[in-house]
Amino acid sequence: MSRDRLADASASVDENRRQVLKGLGLAAFGCPFAGAAAQAATAPARHMTDAPVANVASAEDRVPFFGKHQAGITTPRPANGMIAAFDVIAETPDDLEALLKLITNRIAFLTEGGTLPELDPRLPPADSGIVGPVVKPDALTITVSLGSSLFDGREWLKPLKPRHLSRMKKFPNDALDAALCHGDITIQICANTQDTTIHALRDIIKNTSRHLTLKWKQEGNVPVILPPLGGVAESARNYLGFRDGTANPDSGDEAVMERVVWVGAGRGEPEWAVGGAYQAVRIIRNFVERWDRTPLKEQERIFGRTKMGGAPLDKPEAGEFATPDYAADPEGKLTPLDSHIRLANDRTPAAAENTILRRPFNYSNGVTKSGQLDQGLLFICYQGDLEKGFITVQRRLDGEPLEEYIKPIGGGYFYTLPGVRDASDYLGSTLIAAVRKAP
Amino acid sequence: MTIKHLFGATALSFFLTTSAFAESATLDLVEPIAEYKIYVSEKLEKLVEDTTAFTAAVKAGDVAKAKALFAPTRLSYEAIEPIAELFSDLDVAIDSRADDYEKAEADPEFPGFHRIEYGLWEKNSTAELGPVADKLLADVTELSKRINDLTFPPEKVVGGAAVLMEEVAATKISGEEDRYSHTDLWDFRGNFDGAYKIVELVRPLIEKKEGAFLKTVDANFAKVDTILAKYKEGDGYVTYEKLTEDDRKVLSTAVNTLAEDLSTLRGKLGLD
Repeated sequence: MSRDRLADASASVDENRRQVLKGLGLAAFGCPFAGAAAQAATAPARHMTDAPVANVASAEDRVPFFGKHQAGITTPRPANGMIAAFDVIAETPDDLEALLKLITNRIAFLTEGGTLPELDPRLPPADSGIVGPVVKPDALTITVSLGSSLFDGREWLKPLKPRHLSRMKKFPNDALDAALCHGDITIQICANTQDTTIHALRDIIKNTSRHLTLKWKQEGNVPVILPPLGGVAESARNYLGFRDGTANPDSGDEAVMERVVWVGAGRGEPEWAVGGAYQAVRIIRNFVERWDRTPLKEQERIFGRTKMGGAPLDKPEAGEFATPDYAADPEGKLTPLDSHIRLANDRTPAAAENTILRRPFNYSNGVTKSGQLDQGLLFICYQGDLEKGFITVQRRLDGEPLEEYIKPIGGGYFYTLPGVRDASDYLGSTLIAAVRKAP
Repeated sequence: MTIKHLFGATALSFFLTTSAFAESATLDLVEPIAEYKIYVSEKLEKLVEDTTAFTAAVKAGDVAKAKALFAPTRLSYEAIEPIAELFSDLDVAIDSRADDYEKAEADPEFPGFHRIEYGLWEKNSTAELGPVADKLLADVTELSKRINDLTFPPEKVVGGAAVLMEEVAATKISGEEDRYSHTDLWDFRGNFDGAYKIVELVRPLIEKKEGAFLKTVDANFAKVDTILAKYKEGDGYVTYEKLTEDDRKVLSTAVNTLAEDLSTLRGKLGLD
């Protein structure tokens, strides 16, 4: 969960982030917001788990919807995110195609923005109206993924299920609530403001009632920070107060993303799935009162990092992005062997196989029956191989000391569809084509 | 209260700005609304008759008979709920749930059908239910009288089709309405029949222009019928717990889609 939890597993730790970021270096990484060329000349390169910077986000930020891959995966996290899981009513390939086209149209409109249609006032309005008459893009991304149950329940889809897609099984420390798990489809919605994510969710629900019933939803956010003084973007903190995502792979490096995140032709996956990725979602409750009553030294030993700076414990002054030297500390005197970051990624070349791209959001829901805060991490990660990625990393973490302070209660595994090439294409078109080609 | 007043004010302002189009639409609606009133009167007559038998069984301490009469008695009420709800004091007295009371089931204020349902199923007893039964019969009788004296507002009648679906979508599909007896499928039957009746009455007015709309609406009602038919038992339905997860999902999408579609019915008829 948290933080480095999943996978500090990158051999290619974001080298770029260690540099003082210079605006001119940007082009190589690609500015996430299309049409923001002017901004690109001055803004530092952004990476996926950087904390959103205060006063930089704008309602006009636009993330292109069309592309080889869906947006919302390597896109820098905006301040707000949400996962909504639905069950799908689709008895035939035609039904599923209609649903996918409908969702595609809604996403294309919502992420581009535009003026809402005005209807006869005797009719219900076309839109909830919560963002006013003109929908602004607001860095909105909507990312659609399919669950195992969608395939399992339909004979005509079963043979096309991605090879690692399965129903998430309980790990030893999990206390999964059936009402917060699984689903035929997930929609990840991220934007600068919460109004935009909620508006998008309500739009999709209103327009897809024929096909979708909402199963569960979790919203979260990323703390917004002041612009970095030294030019180095910091990773955002989670609700345990530690930086999360420091060792994430460089989401701006396409070659790294091809290796870590995207399903290519060589992975033994069905052909239709190329360009997609596996999504693992975990709702991980944090026992924050108890955590806040834990000595700082112990907190740091549990994570393997300093709390304020985020540096590895063997180089406490070296800063967040220093690489720990575990070979020099074989007994774990500086960084305990069972610390979170050391278990998740022992920094051996072999561990690079298990790299995942984490994209978490903090959540704060309310109060439990015991009068404690219901807070935690909406953990989301993407990878090209679910087994080698999340599942392997989580297995290594099973039994870690951090478990005393966290409790995974929901989530699931999903397959994120390939991107939509252009206006003539739609989400899942390769899957539908494969269904129609099947004998 | 405040909300009701607000709605009242809104309705009034609409009334004052009624357009010629709406007036002619209202004229067309005279016959369907007269017919609807007859439908409601018949349901009310049946409701009073059934409630009389039901409450008599409760008062006689006949738990088995009272249980058998509970769901069929509610059927008539559920079919005309949008009209019954125009009298919120009576709707609360007749059909509110334990959640509406601070101490839930233990709250002495908890009245009506669901209070009796709780006693019959959870306690398997009619103890303490005598006064509740008397009050229920009095309230149902009063409701019948008030509705018979009422001039039906067209927008409430036409809008009622969507209201019935919203009720199911918001608080019934979960099985929380009849949580002690699990007779929810009977209630659904009443709600769907009541909504379909309204569609039937206005169908001739929109048939020409709204053929595609009616086709979608009919298809969703048919979907609901098919599912409910699977759970038929005798004159009624099996317990809600037997509804499969898959069928519940299909019902849920059908209900939400009907709610979406029927929410446009008022506008299609030119009603404010």
